Amino acid sequence: MTSDTTARIAQICRTCGGGAPVDLHFCPQCEKILTLGRQGDYFAFLGISRKLNVDTADLEQRFRTLSRQFHPDYFYNAPPAERRASLERASYLNDAYRTLRNPATRIEYLLSVEGMDRRRTERAEGAAAPPADTVPPALLEEVFALNEELDAVREMRAGGARAEEWKGRLERAREPIDAKRAEHEAQVQALAAAWDALIDTTAPASEAGGAPERRRVLEALRERMLERNYITNLLAGIERELETQSGHEVI
Amino acid sequence: MSKVVGIDLGTTNSLVAYVQDGVPVVIRDKSGDGLVPSVVSVSADGTTHVGREAQRRLLTDANRTVYSVKRFMGKGVEDVGDDGRLLPFRVAGQAGGVVRIGLGDREFTPPEISAQILRELKRRAEAFFAEQGEVDFEVDRAVITVPAYFNDAQRTATRDAGRIAGLEVLRIINEPTAASLAYGLDKRHSGLIAVYDFGGGTFDISILRVEDGVFQVLSTNGDTHLGGDDLDLLLTERVLADLAPETGGLPRTAEFVQEVRRAVIQAKWDLSERDESEIRVGDYRRRVTRAEFEALIQPIVDRTLGPCRQALADAELAPAQIEEVVLVGGSTRIPLVRRLVGELFGRTPHSELNPDEVVALGAAMQADILVTGNREMLLLDVTPLSLGIETMGGVTSKIILRNSTIPATGSEMFTTAVDQQTAVDIHVVQGERELVADNRSLARFKLRGIPPMPAGMPRVQVQFQIDANGILSVTASELRTSVEQAVEVKPSYGLTDEEVERMLIDSFEHAEADFAARLLIEARNEAESVIMATEKSLRAPEFAAIAAADLAAGEQKRIESVLAGLKMVLNSTDRETIQKWTRALNEATQHLAEVIMNRSVQTALSGRSVDEL
Repeated sequence: MTSDTTARIAQICRTCGGGAPVDLHFCPQCEKILTLGRQGDYFAFLGISRKLNVDTADLEQRFRTLSRQFHPDYFYNAPPAERRASLERASYLNDAYRTLRNPATRIEYLLSVEGMDRRRTERAEGAAAPPADTVPPALLEEVFALNEELDAVREMRAGGARAEEWKGRLERAREPIDAKRAEHEAQVQALAAAWDALIDTTAPASEAGGAPERRRVLEALRERMLERNYITNLLAGIERELETQSGHEVI
Repeated sequence: MSKVVGIDLGTTNSLVAYVQDGVPVVIRDKSGDGLVPSVVSVSADGTTHVGREAQRRLLTDANRTVYSVKRFMGKGVEDVGDDGRLLPFRVAGQAGGVVRIGLGDREFTPPEISAQILRELKRRAEAFFAEQGEVDFEVDRAVITVPAYFNDAQRTATRDAGRIAGLEVLRIINEPTAASLAYGLDKRHSGLIAVYDFGGGTFDISILRVEDGVFQVLSTNGDTHLGGDDLDLLLTERVLADLAPETGGLPRTAEFVQEVRRAVIQAKWDLSERDESEIRVGDYRRRVTRAEFEALIQPIVDRTLGPCRQALADAELAPAQIEEVVLVGGSTRIPLVRRLVGELFGRTPHSELNPDEVVALGAAMQADILVTGNREMLLLDVTPLSLGIETMGGVTSKIILRNSTIPATGSEMFTTAVDQQTAVDIHVVQGERELVADNRSLARFKLRGIPPMPAGMPRVQVQFQIDANGILSVTASELRTSVEQAVEVKPSYGLTDEEVERMLIDSFEHAEADFAARLLIEARNEAESVIMATEKSLRAPEFAAIAAADLAAGEQKRIESVLAGLKMVLNSTDRETIQKWTRALNEATQHLAEVIMNRSVQTALSGRSVDEL
């Protein structure tokens, strides 16, 4: 539990009207379950700081302990308002646990609560097509080379080349992408460590005039995440191409 | 306080259990049988039979008898396809609507048929509690289990069945999870468990982590269309093909098909115990070895392995990391199934608890947790299938991913495409496939009451909530104006609330007819036993001596005439007449009974005095 969250009164108990800090789940005055407000985030809800390296065993323990406190099973005979609060709180807990357990979704969530997420695309009338991904500048060289290789492979295949021949070429084309991915992984880990160190030493980036240092790390992380998603798609494309039997185009 | 129970509403058999002093117990009939076959038969006069009696009627009145109705829960007519083959009952309904099952000249929805089974279980439990001397023996609340891989429509159909049967459904829980709860009871262990549940009609695999009394499902997978029924169908078709030359193209009656089905099921059971069995239908005899049987069914059993591997992958576990494997469902009695599961996980699976009963026991425990607030254990289940909405071009956009712990939420922002547009259509689907057409359509919503604004301006947030039953609800609001949206739900393959209400009322009216029918049967049974006792006395060797010594003149004649009278009215449907004649026969034979009693007492006494001397 961090000191900067416990001090703030951010929730009002619907049962007794008393106030409670954002990371409490039960009213300190009347002990009833609190209705889930709009304040707070997954980190505060689970009582952990906004760091990117999370102790998984600790996270699981917190998840189980909180589940035992407000799962709807235990509010079956409670008044409707408390049942509702338990359903909302348990849902939020499950969503929080699922998001923070996975390193990639954890970073994306941190970026969003720090006000740095990618602009969310809104869906028009039954929703729009997925946004066409533009190639991140750092990957231009690799993507250009890969597309040339893919064209060559397709030509080989169309020309009746043996499977091991064109597949071998495709595997080789994949190597620079794999290398790029490993490089990214290392960069993301270094940035995550840098972020965690800043949490202990500087003011929040989201506050007015917040440490420029924090913002710089978050921007670098956002950049890496975009590239990483792009790389994942590239690799998936190669996988699909490898599974192709005949001359059908997949990508 | 009325009673709560746990119900396993199975494809083949159903059970009801309750918790007594902290221990779950299956409620059995007088002969110790806990299973109620999930078979419902509606005879020509409208009388409904459920369970063993209905099962017998498959051989005499097959067209009015339905089994494996669970396979049709939450389904549309177009889903049935090949499944209708060899079934004695009619499967009908309008395209795009709920399946209807035709029995004689009446039609029922699958939830109505399931409600008959639930009502029978409710009756059984109430009779049991009444006999225990409980003052308030009414059973009005239950936890009902469903296959883990059931989708929203199938879960909703099950909940509707409960409501039609007059039960408050406390919770819908998953069968493998319920089983793990029952297994965890005496173990108190922690670790990773796989529950392999191969039942009559469905297959489920669930991977759980048990820690501090929390049963957390990590992943689940399955096939709601894979079970013992598929083995039976395969064998039945084999035998019918075998028999074809002999029957010479004669029309196979539904009853004949059922006789073949019963014979192959018997052989299947035998082969779990022995290496060889014989299928007998009339004069037809066919020896089957276990090896032949296994070769035949292996392709079906193999279909359970893919979902197992997928569930392990989703839980990010290797088979060797699983510490315990639990077997649930009747089909896990088959040695081949046990062997394949053992090979996959590299360890001998558990089968200490009766695989037919373990799910009902777990359901009873969950019911107990809900009503008592007992916090010793907690089930955390997941949603088996991803929830998504239709986007442009018929592509699915996923909102809540499969294997998310429930309750879970997800939200999506919508806006308008045309100026002043006030409504948006949303299509909700469930499944893992890219294209909407390949997934299960759950419902279509119309968001109304959006404030008129230029296109693209409204920000309508649609909130999807999957509750602890795995059932979806939807709310929406326009963020700029905070206007709550009306969400009209039209389930794609379900019943509307009004339909469920109407069926509930119908069932009450029907329940009265059912009740009258039961009283009539009881009256007949009573009459039959008095007739039997009387005839026995009249035919006894010592009767001549008794009549000569102790009966008044004309007494025997009177008994005989009342006996003949009762036999005449026995098959009438007038309960009161039967009861009147039964009373008359009782009165007429009262003196005779006393005489016989005295004689036997004297014989006993004199016998003893001889011994004593």
